[in-house]
Amino acid sequence: MRRFVAAYGTALAGLAIFVFLLLVARNFATAANLLNVLKHTSFLAILSVGFTFALITAELDLSFAGLCSLAAVVTGGLVHGGTYWPLAVATGLAIGIAGGLLNGILVTRLKVPSLIATLGTASIATGLAFMITRGVAFVGRWDDEFLALARGKVAGIPTLTLFMAAVVGLGWLVTRHSRLGIHMIATGEAEEEARRAGVATRRMKVIGLTVSGAMAGVAAVLLVANLSSAAPQMAGDYLLNAIAAVLLGMTMFEPGRPNVAGSFTGALIIAMLANGLVLMGAPYYIQDIMLGVIVIGSVSVSASVLKKAAFSI
Amino acid sequence: MTAILSVKGAVKTFGAVEALRGVDLRIAPGEIHAVCGDNGAGKSTLIKLVSGVEQPDAGTIRLRGEPIAFASPHQALEAGIATIYQDLGLAPRMTIYQNIFMGSELERRLLGLKYLDKLAMREESRAWLDRLGIDVTSVDTPVENLSGGQRQAVAICRALRWNAEVIIMDEPTAALGVRETEHVLDLIRMLKQQGTTVVVVSHNMTHVAALADRATILRSGRTQTELSLDGVTPETLSRLILSGAAA
Ligand SMILES: Nc1ncnc2c1ncn2[C@@H]1O[C@H](COP(=O)(O)OP(=O)(O)OP(=O)(O)O)[C@@H](O)[C@H]1O
Ligand SMILES: [Mg+2]
Repeated sequence: MRRFVAAYGTALAGLAIFVFLLLVARNFATAANLLNVLKHTSFLAILSVGFTFALITAELDLSFAGLCSLAAVVTGGLVHGGTYWPLAVATGLAIGIAGGLLNGILVTRLKVPSLIATLGTASIATGLAFMITRGVAFVGRWDDEFLALARGKVAGIPTLTLFMAAVVGLGWLVTRHSRLGIHMIATGEAEEEARRAGVATRRMKVIGLTVSGAMAGVAAVLLVANLSSAAPQMAGDYLLNAIAAVLLGMTMFEPGRPNVAGSFTGALIIAMLANGLVLMGAPYYIQDIMLGVIVIGSVSVSASVLKKAAFSI
Repeated sequence: MTAILSVKGAVKTFGAVEALRGVDLRIAPGEIHAVCGDNGAGKSTLIKLVSGVEQPDAGTIRLRGEPIAFASPHQALEAGIATIYQDLGLAPRMTIYQNIFMGSELERRLLGLKYLDKLAMREESRAWLDRLGIDVTSVDTPVENLSGGQRQAVAICRALRWNAEVIIMDEPTAALGVRETEHVLDLIRMLKQQGTTVVVVSHNMTHVAALADRATILRSGRTQTELSLDGVTPETLSRLILSGAAA
């Protein structure tokens, strides 16, 4: 019973919040609004899965939002300038991957603690994003095919939802059912012991941070296609939201360990709460307070890998 | 006797420290062999040489009569020598079966894609634990929930999984209570019964006398004595280690 509550308590609380909002918040239960929540969840969940991969190997990635903004303005800028859109998309993804790889190299080769290394890359990425846009935004009427990446539907399902499902599903399979996944978990849980048992722990950390960067690239492309515009800092709000989703996720399913199913559920709960609070007329600053409470609350009840990561600085 | 594992004239220096200055060791197949000596005598260094963690400056190591040189612990493992250090090398929050298979997971293929064969790993873990007479409710239990003796058993299972013929244990009972210690001594006896050769480093002469067939006593980086322990009392052993003279 206690184990059940520990593993599923947060998810059940999320379900209770959902039911509460259905009953109480006006307009929450409309199809349009629920689709809106799902849309917000999609971006959040993709970034959260990336952050989860880094955190599983006991490394923090504070750069994913900055990388996402940079990848977004580059993708947007290229599309805006008339570049063939698949090329622009590939460039955006490449920026995310390269940024993540850079983090991995800084952490494993130059031994810069990930908190510091990724804070640095975040600042560099943000600076570059402002440099590229000269501080303004790219807005335009862009290629319909490009916009359809985020606004289209396949068999009635929004493409955003499909991308999220693919990321979450693949992430779950890799972390739960592959040798790569168990090696990443072992790296985060007991680096020295894992290394002695033949696990390539440094490579696992590089992969974790690179996946986080890659997901920033994916989210960037989708954000830009969804808004048909690109601005520096456009992903800034996702930093704390995604971190909160992952930390909240660590109180579920595999308590104390970052896990993809938990991160997804956490993203869903946070997107739902944010939406519900607005609908119920709560002032905007309530959301910041809520995120802060979630971040601190989740880590204080579990999160031993994170405590370890923060201690290793 | 043909030794399964032997060391002749091993020398190892660390900077100005001569940790080993000519050590001989002969391990007979199937025996429990104790390596004894005072603090700093060179026991751990000797273990590091035969487990591939360090390479000797001089001297030869032979496995079944063949000279060998291990560049890494992994090579020693593959040759059938598994070493369990005092910290056991387990990940506390991972499960029993995940620890037993850490770094050598079993996989299956589905449409060309490889995935973890958890079922087989669970079953095999259960079988290894049964072999050692260890009773745990589930192989999905995190190692941190186990007793010291059970953890030692998990570490032994991991060694056995490599088909280790020689298992080396550095201070296996140092951190354990009385009952747990008995448990680990029984485990070691069971390994012997099943044909595994065991090398144990220990400071506890009562255990050594009760458990081991023979002992090698190191003193200041040299082999001082190698003796059969038939009828040898713990007191005699202690005197040998301290005084360097046979009683
Ligand atoms: N890596 C090292 N660098 C420098 N000196 C070392 C190193 N390893 C061992 N020594 C020295 O070599 C000598 C033998 O050490 P060793 O650890 O082999 O002794 P031991 O018999 O295992 O002792 P104990 O019973 O305390 O574990 C000691 O003087 C030790 O300080
Ligand atoms: Mg020692």
